[in-house]
Amino acid sequence: MSRTSPDRVARATPGPVARRLTGLSDRAIAWIFVAPTIFLLLAINIFPLIWTLRLSFTNMRVNRPNEPVEWVGLRNYQRILNDSGIWETMQATAHFLFWTLALQILIGFTLAWLINRKFRGNDLWTTIIVLPMMLSPAVVGNFWTFLYQPQIGLFNYVVGFLSGADPSSFSMIADVRLAPWAIIIVDTWMWTPFVMLICLAGLRSIPESIYEAAECDRASKWRQFWTITVPMVLPFLMLAVLFRGIENFKMFDLVVQLTGGGPGNTTEVTSINLKREAFEKWRTGYSSAYAIILFVTVFGLASIYVKALNKVKSR
Amino acid sequence: MTNFINGLLRLKRAPWEMLASILIALGVVMLMQPFVMWAFTWSFMVTFVGTVMFIITSHFPE
Amino acid sequence: MSSYSITEPSKPQKWIAGSLVIAYALITLMPLLWIIATGFKSPADSIAYPPKVFFTPTLEGYVNLFTTRTRQTAEFLAANPPQTWYAEIVAKYDMVIAGPSRFGERFLNSVIIGFGSTFLSIFLGTLAAYAFSRFKVPLKDDLLFFILSTRMMPPIAVAIPIFLMFRQLGLSDTHLGMILLYTAVNLSLSVWLLKGFIDEIPQEYEEAALIDGYTRFQAFYKVVLPQAATGIASTAIFCLIFAWNEYAFAVLLTSGNAQTAPPFIPTIIGTAGQDWPAVAAGATLFLMPVMVFTILLRKHLLRGITFGAVRK
Repeated sequence: MSRTSPDRVARATPGPVARRLTGLSDRAIAWIFVAPTIFLLLAINIFPLIWTLRLSFTNMRVNRPNEPVEWVGLRNYQRILNDSGIWETMQATAHFLFWTLALQILIGFTLAWLINRKFRGNDLWTTIIVLPMMLSPAVVGNFWTFLYQPQIGLFNYVVGFLSGADPSSFSMIADVRLAPWAIIIVDTWMWTPFVMLICLAGLRSIPESIYEAAECDRASKWRQFWTITVPMVLPFLMLAVLFRGIENFKMFDLVVQLTGGGPGNTTEVTSINLKREAFEKWRTGYSSAYAIILFVTVFGLASIYVKALNKVKSR
Repeated sequence: MTNFINGLLRLKRAPWEMLASILIALGVVMLMQPFVMWAFTWSFMVTFVGTVMFIITSHFPE
Repeated sequence: MSSYSITEPSKPQKWIAGSLVIAYALITLMPLLWIIATGFKSPADSIAYPPKVFFTPTLEGYVNLFTTRTRQTAEFLAANPPQTWYAEIVAKYDMVIAGPSRFGERFLNSVIIGFGSTFLSIFLGTLAAYAFSRFKVPLKDDLLFFILSTRMMPPIAVAIPIFLMFRQLGLSDTHLGMILLYTAVNLSLSVWLLKGFIDEIPQEYEEAALIDGYTRFQAFYKVVLPQAATGIASTAIFCLIFAWNEYAFAVLLTSGNAQTAPPFIPTIIGTAGQDWPAVAAGATLFLMPVMVFTILLRKHLLRGITFGAVRK
C-alpha cells in the first residue's frame, strides 16, 4: 500500500528522472532507518540476554575470576525451583501484587467514574491526581520513610490523629506485619492515577447513545452500570491490570528505598532477592538462571499484554 | 466449545493463542501461589511452554 | 453535548463527585507539599512533634544540600566572621563551609545522561518509526513486539550481563555507557509512540511531495517531521522523564563519576541519620521539572504511559 504511489510515479517517468525522483529505493531507506535501532537493541538487550542464558548453565562467580567456570547443565534451575526461600520471595511478591492491584482498581475505577460526572474543573484535579505517577519512585520512596517515622512522621501523626492510637506506638517500616503494607500504600498512592486514567479513557469511549437507548428501555441506573459501563471498560481495565502487574512483578526502586526488603525478609520481593544473589553474594551463574526465569515470565505476560493492547486499539 | 476444538484442529490463531495465554497465566499463578511446593517447582515449565507456544501460534493464520 | 441530554449527571451528583475527587486530590498532594515544606524547615522544625505546618522558613536545607561543612571552635568563628549569607546560616551551628557537595555534579549527570539519551532515542526512534509506519518491513509485527518487550524486562535481570559487558568495554560508570543503556530502554517507547503519531499523518502529503520531485529523504524531513513535531516533542519529554527517574540501573552500574541524582539523594546524611531538610531540598529541585512537564503534557499523558495504546 505504502509503496504503490512512488512506484507508480517512478514507472510513469522514464529512467534517470525516476531515479532522481525517488533517490534511494524505499526498501533501502526502510533498512537504513530501522537498522540502527535494531542494532542498538541487539547489542544492549539481546546479546546480554544470550549471555545470561549461557551463564545460567554455569557456576560462574564474578567475584572469583580465578576459579575455573564449570558447566553445570540445568542444576541452577533445579536448585532455584526447589528453593523454599525463593518460593517465599515469590509469595511476598504475590501479596504485594494482589493488594496493589485490588486497591488500585477499586480506587482508580471509582475516581474515573466520579471524574466522568464531568463536574467543573475536573481537568485540573485530574492533573493534580496524576502528579505522583510521574515522579522518581526512588526519591519519593525515600522521602516516604520520613513520613513513616514513628512519632515525628506525618503519616503516623495523621493515622494517630484519626484512630486515637499513639503515633509513636507503631512503625510502618520496622514492624513485620506492617512493612508489606507500607509498600502497598506508597505504590497505591503512586499508581492509582494510572489505572484511573485508563479507566477514564474506557468510560469516555462509551457512546452516549447506548445509555440513551437504555434510558428509553427504562433500565435502572444500577443495571446500566453492570450491563453497559462495566463490560465496556473491562478491556481497558485488563490492559491496566496487565501493565501494572508486569511493573509490580519487577518492582525494585520503591521497595529498596522504603524497606530494603526488611525487616528480615518480609518484603523481599523478587527483584530485591535477585539483586542480593547477583550483586551481594555474587552467585552469577545461579542468579543468571533466576533472571532467565523472570525473563520468561515477564515475556509471557508481555505477549498477553500486546494481545490485549491490539484488542483495545482495534476498538 | 466445539468451535474452539475445531479451531485448534485447523491451526487457527485465536484458539491457540487463547490456550497459550491460559498456560502462561497458569504458570504465573503456580509460581506465586503459597500452597504447594511442586506447583512452584513446575511453574517455570508451564510458563515456558506457554510462551513458546504463543510465539509460534501468533504466526498461524487468523 | 446539549444540556437537555437525559444522560447528563444532575447538579447534586456533580457536586458530590466533585468534592470526593477534590478530597482525594488533596490527600494525594499532601506528601508532595510536605516535601516542598520540609525543604524550607530547619532541622529542628523538621523533626518536631507534632509535625509543624507553620514554621519560619529558612534556606538551611538548601545550604546543607549544596555544601559540605566542618565544625569549628567558637574562637575560630569569632576571629573569622561569616562573609556570605550561607556561611552565616551554618555559623549558627558552629560550622564553616568546607566546600561544595556532590549534589551539583550528580544533578548535572542527570541532565547530561537524560538529555543525551533522549536525543539519541528520539533520533533513532523517529527514523525507525517512520520506516515501520510507511514501508513494508519484513517481520514487522515481530520486530515491534520485540522492541516493546525489551521495555518490559526486569532491570535487575538485564543488569547482570550488562554489568559484565560494560566492565569488559570500559563503559562502567561512564556517561556514554549510561546514555547508551537508557537510549536502548527508551527506544521502545519512542518507536511505539512516534509510530502512532506518524501513522496519523496522511500519506497524501508525502506522495504529493514525491510527485513534486522530492526524494524520500526530503519528503521525510520537509513534510513528515514538521507535521510530527508535537508528537516528537511530547515523546521526548516522556523519554526524558524516564531517564530522569531511573534508579535500578543507575544504582547498580554507576558509583561515582556518572552517578545520577536518584541514587544520590537518599544518601544525603547529616550529623544523625538523614538530613531531612537537605534531602527534601534535593528532592524538590529534582522533582520540580517533572511536575512542570507533567502539567504541560497532560493532554498526551495517557498516550505516553500506555505506549500509544490509548489515545483518549
